[in-house]
Amino acid sequence: MALGTSEVTDGTEAADGTEHLGTAGVLERLRLKHRDPDADHKHPANVTHYETASLGERLADRLSGLMGSWPFIIVQSLLMVVWVYLNVWGIFVAHWDPYPFILLNLALSFQATYAGPIVLLAGNRQSKKDRITLEHAADESDKGEEQINRILVEIKKNTALTVQILNELEAETA
Amino acid sequence: MSDDAVIPTGREVVAAQHKHPVNVLFHDEATTGERVADKVATSIGSWWFLGIQSVFIAIWISLNVLMVINHWDPYPFILLNLAFTIQAAYTGPVLLLSGNRQAQKDRLRLEHTAEVAETSERATIDILQEIERNTEATLKVLQHLKKRRDASLQARA
Repeated sequence: MALGTSEVTDGTEAADGTEHLGTAGVLERLRLKHRDPDADHKHPANVTHYETASLGERLADRLSGLMGSWPFIIVQSLLMVVWVYLNVWGIFVAHWDPYPFILLNLALSFQATYAGPIVLLAGNRQSKKDRITLEHAADESDKGEEQINRILVEIKKNTALTVQILNELEAETA
Repeated sequence: MSDDAVIPTGREVVAAQHKHPVNVLFHDEATTGERVADKVATSIGSWWFLGIQSVFIAIWISLNVLMVINHWDPYPFILLNLAFTIQAAYTGPVLLLSGNRQAQKDRLRLEHTAEVAETSERATIDILQEIERNTEATLKVLQHLKKRRDASLQARA
């Protein structure tokens, strides 16, 4: 009898322990990783995507990170303003690209020509990651199913025993 | 209880404090640069933007073809071409900016999923162990009953 009660208290303590582990600290741990793609990742899809990326993939990430950033947009704007200013109001320089700025047009078209493929490069990286993520999710779901089956088997065992006890008790009263 | 739960629409969610840790980090704790990036991406990627751009182009071309006012950009509209190029030169980086944001969110979401999966796996194992303990106790009850029955049978005999 004493053995039985001690086992029960052990059980509740374990349940409390998991509850604390489950809710606390997740936000804090995620906050540390928020803006750091070089952080140690937990999810296998993240590990594959960031930590085992090839040289070309790392370069693609760098490139899309560089082009898709505020410094890039601001520097581009400044260059454009300086270009137009020098070609309209510049005093000590030759006006190499007067109104309507055909060379500036070419330069910006050049940028746009590269931006398109870089956007697709980044998009392809993401869709590959999505594929890996789904494969991992399927593995996880198989694992979860297996665990649920084990629980069900155990509960059935328990029910069978309880039925036997009931039979014993009914036989006793009969 | 589940009947009371109403799924909020997108508009309500934008204004509210978020519940999911990834949304909290991504939206509620976004820096000014990130907020502006989101605003710009949603503005450019909207029907309003497309509509205004189309109207603007139509007016530009009409004014330069029709004989109403001074033709500042006659056929073949070289300045309009420059304006298009400038738009494209900004759309690319903004597209990447927004894409990088989404990639960051995807990364965070997966990390959160991994955290949750770990917790739930531990919970599942606890549940299994608890049931096993229960089974053990039930078995003991059964054995106890059997022993009592055997004893009473012997006593009767």
